[in-house]
Amino acid sequence: MIMRNRTLQIKGKKIVSLLVLAVLSSLIIGCAALQEAQRKREERMMERRNANQLMMSASKATVNVDPNPIDNKPHGESDHYTLKFADDLLRMGDFDEAPEREIFAKSALLYMESLYDAMHNIFGFKPKHKIHVTLYNLFQGTNRAAITGTQYRYGNNIKYVTGIEMHFPMAMYEKHGVRVHELTHAFTNIYFLPTWFNEGLAVLMQTEYAKGGLHPKFSDLERNLKKDLNGTNELENWGGHGETGPLTEWRYRYAYTVVSKLREKYGNQLYIKVFELMERDQLHQKLIGAMPTSFLVYYISQAAGEDLVPFFEKLKFNVRKLKKTDILEYIKQVNTQNLRGN
Amino acid sequence: MFTDKLGNNRIYFLTILLLPILLSACVVGQQWSENYALMEGVNANDPVIVDGDLSTVGQSQLKKGSGSLDLDRWQNSESIIILPEKKKIYRVTIHSSNLQDYQLLALNTLGEWDVVHDQQHNQEKVIDIRLKKVVTTDGIKLLVRKTTDDKARRHQNSKVERENEVTSGGKVRKGRYVYKITGPQTAPAKIAEIRLFGYAESSQ
Repeated sequence: MIMRNRTLQIKGKKIVSLLVLAVLSSLIIGCAALQEAQRKREERMMERRNANQLMMSASKATVNVDPNPIDNKPHGESDHYTLKFADDLLRMGDFDEAPEREIFAKSALLYMESLYDAMHNIFGFKPKHKIHVTLYNLFQGTNRAAITGTQYRYGNNIKYVTGIEMHFPMAMYEKHGVRVHELTHAFTNIYFLPTWFNEGLAVLMQTEYAKGGLHPKFSDLERNLKKDLNGTNELENWGGHGETGPLTEWRYRYAYTVVSKLREKYGNQLYIKVFELMERDQLHQKLIGAMPTSFLVYYISQAAGEDLVPFFEKLKFNVRKLKKTDILEYIKQVNTQNLRGN
Repeated sequence: MFTDKLGNNRIYFLTILLLPILLSACVVGQQWSENYALMEGVNANDPVIVDGDLSTVGQSQLKKGSGSLDLDRWQNSESIIILPEKKKIYRVTIHSSNLQDYQLLALNTLGEWDVVHDQQHNQEKVIDIRLKKVVTTDGIKLLVRKTTDDKARRHQNSKVERENEVTSGGKVRKGRYVYKITGPQTAPAKIAEIRLFGYAESSQ
């Protein structure tokens, strides 16, 4: 009888402890679920409130301004930029007095510094050189085109950046989406990317990050494809910003659609991974001239974890599947030719 | 008994005398909080409006348009400030040289913007707004309806041009005059600073 009671007691204790454990674990799980729900709600709220605007924090950069510089010096300088007003802008009513220039230069540089920090956070890398910004009333006779140029040299079989310039007519500078577009070039030009990819990425940042831009995506890449006489995708013949023609708008839209579709499929970090892989290998610096699309596709495929040559072939890009040995062999061959030439 | 009554009366008298003094002391002692727009982690659609420096001037920003100039030309611009945490806001000051008509909105718990203040025909360069009731929020939006620069912007972005035609012979035939819109018809507000205040921590 005593034995039976003890057994019952032990069983009872076990049941109680099991019940306590069950209650505790359900409480913990409940808390975790609640926390998860709370986190998701906060994320939704964050998305909703930031949905239509590019949000940034105030910059703590050092800014020096001189409204009347001499010897062609800039009107302002900050940690990552210099800023100059072109002569045609200095004749305009909003810039013809020193206090106006002083306020504008200081404010513009602080805005651009905030944007620089935001872009650095996204890309994880930044250009080594200061960016030289010039503002115009009309740039090259128009107020509808802004340009970012990256100067580089090729020496000792290595390409290296020597300077970055940005040229904005005021009408373009006033659009924050255009600033993001051009700053994307300033950041990514250090990888000497193919023009179509460079522009596609800049429109992606302008549209999806800065919530600006007027280049809508195509709904279908194959249906909207345009080919040249060789049957190659017209994107591959793109000279970039400076080139305007009947295909320009299509090129911006198509390049953006390609870049965006890949990002949608392989995740937001796809291009960050591409740049990390390029940075690790440093092979982009050893290519002469523009980067071939096959070279780029080699890295995008690695970042996506899938061979993307068929995707690009379907869109009539002139690509072939490369291995690293192919790229190294090509670079070696070019360098040997260079040595012979010298 | 008499002294007790007198004592009670004194207490009542003193209470009545001291209560208004105490209340007024509370009001006098009510201090504004720090400017919440300068907190660490604050974001704005133009960060220059929350940099704490009145000598820098930011702008209200146009929302993403539809792409059609016809639809977008009268689009309002806005300044948005997002705080890292909810704060009780009672006072908002806006330092702007051209702001005329505007609405002030606060983000509610559903993620929607509620109008908390509305003003037309403003002529002040420093607008000091005391909200009718304290707003607990982590987002403030200034919706710009009209600025003193709108007229100049309309003038800059509109022109009258002849609609000429090229004939089959290659000659240009002069057409009728048409009014052309080349850009937005509203100017952004120039904003040096937007400051957000509640009551100081001790009184909250």
